[in-house]
Amino acid sequence: MKAFVILAVIAVATPAWAHKPSDAHLKLAVDGSIVTGRLDIAVRDLDAALVLDENADGDITWRELTAAAPRIRAYVADRLAFAADGQSCTTALEAAGIAELSDGAYWAMPVRVTCPHRPEVLAITYRLLFEIDAQHRGLVHLEGQTLIVRSGDPVRAKLDGETSFTSFVKEGVWHIWMGFDHILFLLCLILPAVFQRPGQRWAPATSLRTVAREVFEIVTAFTLAHSITLVISAVGLITLPSRIVETAIALSVVAAAANNLARVVDARWAVAFALGLLHGFGFSSVLIDLGLPSHELIGALLGFNLGVELGQAAIVIALLPLLYLIRRTLAYQALLWGGSSVAALIAAIWSYQRWFA
Amino acid sequence: MGRRKLTVLALGAVGLAGALTLAAFAAPDRARASTRSRLPTDPDEVIATVPPRDPEEVAARRALATSPDALEIAVSLARADIQRARSTSDPRYLGRAQATLAAWWNITDAPPDVLLLRATILQSLHDFPAARADLDRVIALRPDDAQAHLTRAVVATVTGDYAAARASCAVLANAVISATCLAPLDGLAGHADEAYAHLAQALAGVRGNAELRGWAETALAELAIQRGDNDVALAHLQAIVARDPSDAYGRAALADVLMLTGRAAEASALLAGHEQIDSALVRRAIAEHVTHGPDETRLVQMMRDRIAAAAERGDRIHLREEARFALEVDADTAKALRTARDNWSVQKELADARLLAQTAVAAGDPEAAAPVIAWAKATGVHDAQLDRWLRQREDAR
Repeated sequence: MKAFVILAVIAVATPAWAHKPSDAHLKLAVDGSIVTGRLDIAVRDLDAALVLDENADGDITWRELTAAAPRIRAYVADRLAFAADGQSCTTALEAAGIAELSDGAYWAMPVRVTCPHRPEVLAITYRLLFEIDAQHRGLVHLEGQTLIVRSGDPVRAKLDGETSFTSFVKEGVWHIWMGFDHILFLLCLILPAVFQRPGQRWAPATSLRTVAREVFEIVTAFTLAHSITLVISAVGLITLPSRIVETAIALSVVAAAANNLARVVDARWAVAFALGLLHGFGFSSVLIDLGLPSHELIGALLGFNLGVELGQAAIVIALLPLLYLIRRTLAYQALLWGGSSVAALIAAIWSYQRWFA
Repeated sequence: MGRRKLTVLALGAVGLAGALTLAAFAAPDRARASTRSRLPTDPDEVIATVPPRDPEEVAARRALATSPDALEIAVSLARADIQRARSTSDPRYLGRAQATLAAWWNITDAPPDVLLLRATILQSLHDFPAARADLDRVIALRPDDAQAHLTRAVVATVTGDYAAARASCAVLANAVISATCLAPLDGLAGHADEAYAHLAQALAGVRGNAELRGWAETALAELAIQRGDNDVALAHLQAIVARDPSDAYGRAALADVLMLTGRAAEASALLAGHEQIDSALVRRAIAEHVTHGPDETRLVQMMRDRIAAAAERGDRIHLREEARFALEVDADTAKALRTARDNWSVQKELADARLLAQTAVAAGDPEAAAPVIAWAKATGVHDAQLDRWLRQREDAR
């Protein structure tokens, strides 16, 4: 256990940033006539262009960055423009945060572009940083394409007809599959479902029907719970710092796994509901990072949620018959005890990483 | 259910749990590791560190911003950035040097000082033909410019124009510089022994100028490697790294010799903490892979990410590293051979020849090594590693 934790800490605490040529990333999503996204610019590049390190001590603090924010905004506003099929759009730059990439901290600035109509061809004029670094590249990520901007000339992206709804469904499926913690949580909850306690003793379930019903209850409770918090937090009613949310999600996996080992709570649908509330906050920050189009918020939320449910359902449907088949075997016991222990261990490491990283 | 069936199933379950654990470590939450943004709460949190600013340089940049065609200022700023790129192995400074020279960058007949710096930048970006053209222009204007001849010799050697390289070396007056310039050419011509003796002798009486000494000793080490004298090469390279720990080229070469002699664990230790530099990262990832070291997973992923990031911006200047990585970590011999071929079309140093021969053998495609054989025949080169690969190739046919 100790060795694992030390290893994990070393992996997180890599001291040196990669030496890379300068790139900036502009991630965009098109939704009707609105284009939203985020522009990530390396803080050290901004410093070279705008001298952010006011006291010249080599350290750029958050204070210095916030003080320079209006200058950064003006610099970007001067050098970033969009046009939909030849008609210019208006660009709004929102309050920025910090994103950590492999070569250091980036100024992550949400961008909101309003065009006269839905663009078929979106022209992007990007003229940042070339004056201080001729090898700088602006990388525009849009609908699966990456356009490389090498000079101040506009680049054009041809957009297909995919609606934002379907793209958010895809994102939802993708997120549940790539978000290892959500799957692990769900797995921990449904693993014991093929074992039931009709009387006083635990015994293998006798019919697939009862098992399916219990799993349905668990999944529905989870869905309900995370949908509630997803909506609450996506519309901005309650927002929590991501460090707290991410750590809490990891701890929820520890709790669900530990419950399999210790059998404290039998009503796992209740666990699914209570802890599922946490997962909704996690989903919403993904959604916000995707560039949530606020005028079509409901559609995006529905699409994303639907995607998450589809992704979940696929996993459950694939797994449940298998579990049911092996429920009387030693293998199932090994999976239940071993799998839950491993899940608890992994999630404990995550909690540690997320809180201290 | 039979006992055996149960055992098999139980083993399967344990395997699944193991795979899950591995997956969790191999991709420690990739979704999270993506680029979520955060809002710092402590105003004094240091977000980034930059090299301390030199007030004189700030003033010079300001002056250049108001008059972008101020030649002297631009040249001295660009020179400082190129020096920084060299000492830190951080490619960002090359782009900055280029930006400083923006007023002349697209002018064919720029002033000679600019041509020389432009050639140096182009060489670092692996645009050898353009670098060569600029150097030829400088030399037409200043036939005795030692720096221009030296750079021209290096560029001409890389592209296989040995006559031009020799002609430029011959112009250099300083005995050590001239001997170091000629050493790789003599080595390639099949006279590695004589070249080593000659350069060692030229270097023997010289004191001071650490940079020149380091460069000359690197040339000695490379001749020793060529002769198969790995112990001698090791001693030279260890001395180079001890004298100048920031010498990324020397450190990478030392790691190569260590790996060549079956001391991959030592190579990994030597490169630890230098992973920000691509040449160190790729070698350490390979060393950890070979020894199944504790950092293997992390470094292999890091290298993959770096290759992907370079491809995303359209860069192809790491072909040598990519080919080695494909061969030794991914064991994707076809990809390794393809990349080694692309690399050979850009640069033709001994290391590139070894790589193409090695990947051709590994991919079971002996004919792919034909260009290297033709090259070796034309130059008369003998190299311990290359000769071994070519022998294996003969055996495979």
